[in-house]
Amino acid sequence: MTKTIFEKSQSGQHAFSLPKDNNAFKQYAPPQALLRKTDPPLPEISELDLTRHFCELASRNIGIDNQFYPLGSCTMKLNPRVNEWCAALPGFARTHPLAPEHTVQGNLQVIAELIEMLCAVSGMQAGSLVPCAGAHGEYAGIKMIAAYHKQRNQSQRNEILIPNDAHGTNPASAAMAGFKSISIRTDSSGDIDIEHLKELASDRTACLMLTNPNTLGLFSSKISEISKIIHQHGGLLYYDGANLNAILNVVGPGDMGFDVMHINLHKTFSTPHGGGGPGSGPILCNNKLKEFLPVPRVEKNKEGYHIVWQAESSIGRISAFHGNFGIYLRAYLYAKLHGHYGLRKIAENSVLNANYLKKLIGKLFTIPYPQYCMHEFVVQADTYVDKGVRALDIAKRLLDYGVYAPTIYFPLIIKECMLIEPTEGESKATLDRFVEILSKIVDEIKSDPKIVKEAPHTKPVMRLDEVAAAKSPILKHSTK
Amino acid sequence: MDFIANKEIQVQEMLKTIGVASIEELFCDIPTNLRRIAPAVDDGLSESEGMLLMEELSAKNTFPKFTSYLGGGAYEHHVPALVNAVCSKSEFLTSYTPYQAEASQGMLQAIFEYQSAVCALTGMDVSNASLYDGATACAEAILMALRLVKDRRKIVIARSLHPNYCAVIEQYLSSHDVEIEWISFKEDGSIDQSVALNLIDDQTVAVLLQYPNFFGVLDDVKSIAAKAKAHGALTIVNANPLVYALYASAEEIGADIAIGDTQPLGLPLHFGGPYVGYIACKQEFVRQMPGRIIGETVDSEGKRGFVLTLQAREQHIRREKATSNICTNQALAALASLVAILWYGKRGLKQLALTNYQRACYLKEKLSNLPGVKIMGNEPMFNEFAVKFSGNIEGIYSHFRSQGIEPGIDLGKFYPELAGYILIAVTETKSLEQLDRYVETARTIKASLGFG
Repeated sequence: MTKTIFEKSQSGQHAFSLPKDNNAFKQYAPPQALLRKTDPPLPEISELDLTRHFCELASRNIGIDNQFYPLGSCTMKLNPRVNEWCAALPGFARTHPLAPEHTVQGNLQVIAELIEMLCAVSGMQAGSLVPCAGAHGEYAGIKMIAAYHKQRNQSQRNEILIPNDAHGTNPASAAMAGFKSISIRTDSSGDIDIEHLKELASDRTACLMLTNPNTLGLFSSKISEISKIIHQHGGLLYYDGANLNAILNVVGPGDMGFDVMHINLHKTFSTPHGGGGPGSGPILCNNKLKEFLPVPRVEKNKEGYHIVWQAESSIGRISAFHGNFGIYLRAYLYAKLHGHYGLRKIAENSVLNANYLKKLIGKLFTIPYPQYCMHEFVVQADTYVDKGVRALDIAKRLLDYGVYAPTIYFPLIIKECMLIEPTEGESKATLDRFVEILSKIVDEIKSDPKIVKEAPHTKPVMRLDEVAAAKSPILKHSTK
Repeated sequence: MDFIANKEIQVQEMLKTIGVASIEELFCDIPTNLRRIAPAVDDGLSESEGMLLMEELSAKNTFPKFTSYLGGGAYEHHVPALVNAVCSKSEFLTSYTPYQAEASQGMLQAIFEYQSAVCALTGMDVSNASLYDGATACAEAILMALRLVKDRRKIVIARSLHPNYCAVIEQYLSSHDVEIEWISFKEDGSIDQSVALNLIDDQTVAVLLQYPNFFGVLDDVKSIAAKAKAHGALTIVNANPLVYALYASAEEIGADIAIGDTQPLGLPLHFGGPYVGYIACKQEFVRQMPGRIIGETVDSEGKRGFVLTLQAREQHIRREKATSNICTNQALAALASLVAILWYGKRGLKQLALTNYQRACYLKEKLSNLPGVKIMGNEPMFNEFAVKFSGNIEGIYSHFRSQGIEPGIDLGKFYPELAGYILIAVTETKSLEQLDRYVETARTIKASLGFG
């Protein structure tokens, strides 16, 4: 059984060192009455044991560096090591967020130029790098939309239209910003049900939130019509940039009629996912919404770059300082390495890889939408439900074969859904091997479904009991 | 350059398998009038050119050459070398959110340990897996309190909470039907207790204080928390977590929800991010906690393992009814803070906190002995305090900067009534020689400004 670091504690041991104390300092003692009564129950451990502990934990975790990671909607592409080198440069890492602006001109240039570059890619006019993740960007964008309607005395617009296959963050962000979400049906071709949209659009519509390509990996060819319907009703269009990888420099959300959007730099622009974050979710908009962008902002004048801390119509501040600078710094370098030429290649090759996989996997499983996909596609893995094998079981069995599982049970509208996204970086051989593995699993389902149903067999743990975890939660180390 | 594996030979084979002649055909669903023409000229850089560019940009930042006394929610501390060694491991750095628990036990256990460490420091029962930063943690804690204390709409907040955090709270609450009442501070920087006690009543949802507050003062939180409790309101305390290694924990001072930013523990300044918003609370409030939580469980053979748990609170399950919209959090930065906390350990953190305190006290006392220097107050402190030098503020700043010192935060920029005050943060990174040089530079202000 694996031990937590708390259980490895050995009394009196430690790793730390501190700068030499000095008699000049020793005389100062904090007021006794305010001190902590009992020491925090933290472990005592040497640097060697600490180092080994984290090596052991790392060996029980899988990243893109280890394996193919076809996790749909997550864009698990290579996180180039040169990004990490860049973020660690002391010239960047040692800058304080409240440093005088003349001493951080390099940082401010990165901010201004990255916004400019993201605007060019997306067909937008202005932006902010302050949001720390995609959902944070959604929140900022919705608040900007709210401010826009308020300025026009249209505060009755309290509804946000969201397709039923959208990311969960869309309705959650709408709720957080004080809006009601209204679900739009998806039609049999995997596109928005236009008739339903027409029924729902009204003078209460604040905006439509859309991912295009959507979470089924399909591009909506009706996008111009959709945009027209919403705008005719006085609403705005929000673009969820989670799937931007497919269309980099092929088509811009601004060109499609979107007014505001976020980009997940931890997806499209290769910054690491880090086991769940930190990410960065810049928000971009057209001139209609520019004045509402959050602060702080960076502007350029004759003397150089300067920071605007307050702006009259801005929605205000949504994080403590300038957002996840260390993350968007990586994205800046990634964009510079590619140039607009290379960014287009990313889109082309991600779409090529997805369609290649889709074609081959179509021989093994049901593909609900036969048309060409963009960077990802859905598989309906319900063929073997009568043998008791579900998408979850196939996902777990894939782990045994040394590939990570696709996203499963999302979008919710597809039965036994597997959402597969091979990014542009994967080689043909990797994709071929993935298909071979899936084919092997299908053979197993036919001959010995038990081995699939009970997978994984080769991981540090067998299938975990999530129900028990939620029923009587153990959420921290306890000595009791 | 790019990171694309397949070249012309594989591309052709794949196109053939798909049954199309070109990649362009795959984009057929994108209306042609919207489609852009592919850039003809390669405008990318090589890796070495990219590195040169970034070195040049980083060299445009002159700030790292200064000896800095800036704090105010972002502190210069030693980052143990082990932190980067752990966080740069492929298995952690390049993994996704641990939805496939069996392939993500390492990260799940690490975050479980992070939660345990946050609970150890704050004295709370439950921590989540992280929020974006201290400011959004404040906003989320208030939204959480609004779900816990129903049918009330008054939030009481100390004006001595970080002004940027105040701004974020106001932004988040602007879409909710609530009213904020502000607790003023006194001339010595401490919270006005009588105002605080008067504001808390049966309509109060929660009271939010900072410990130590923005001016570095350790307010008496206990009596305010007691009053809040008596009225059925919650007490939320925002704190630099390092303070809990030395001073009374959030639990000891009566907090129901403890929040803050773990930046002082293992995270470089990085111009304000990535940092980590921590949030911890008492057991009974866990179901209203925002964000991910890791829990312990067993596998089908009874072996211990870790999973994401209580997910019925989260956006991917509950959509518009979720406790928050947060999905991507600050996991790797939380791991960095965990490694730093463990590297210091039980004894080291306390000594680190004491070292900070003593060096700050030294500078404060030396400055207070100079003629014309006014210390904001003599209330209990941790590693920050405010002073006023005589002379015009621009002149004072340029004098310090001419000596390679960034003397602290100009409080007048945040609070007009505090014009002239400078907030000074002192950490273990400042040596006796550097502190003496600060004092010497302060002593020569007058001469340099021509008042002498």
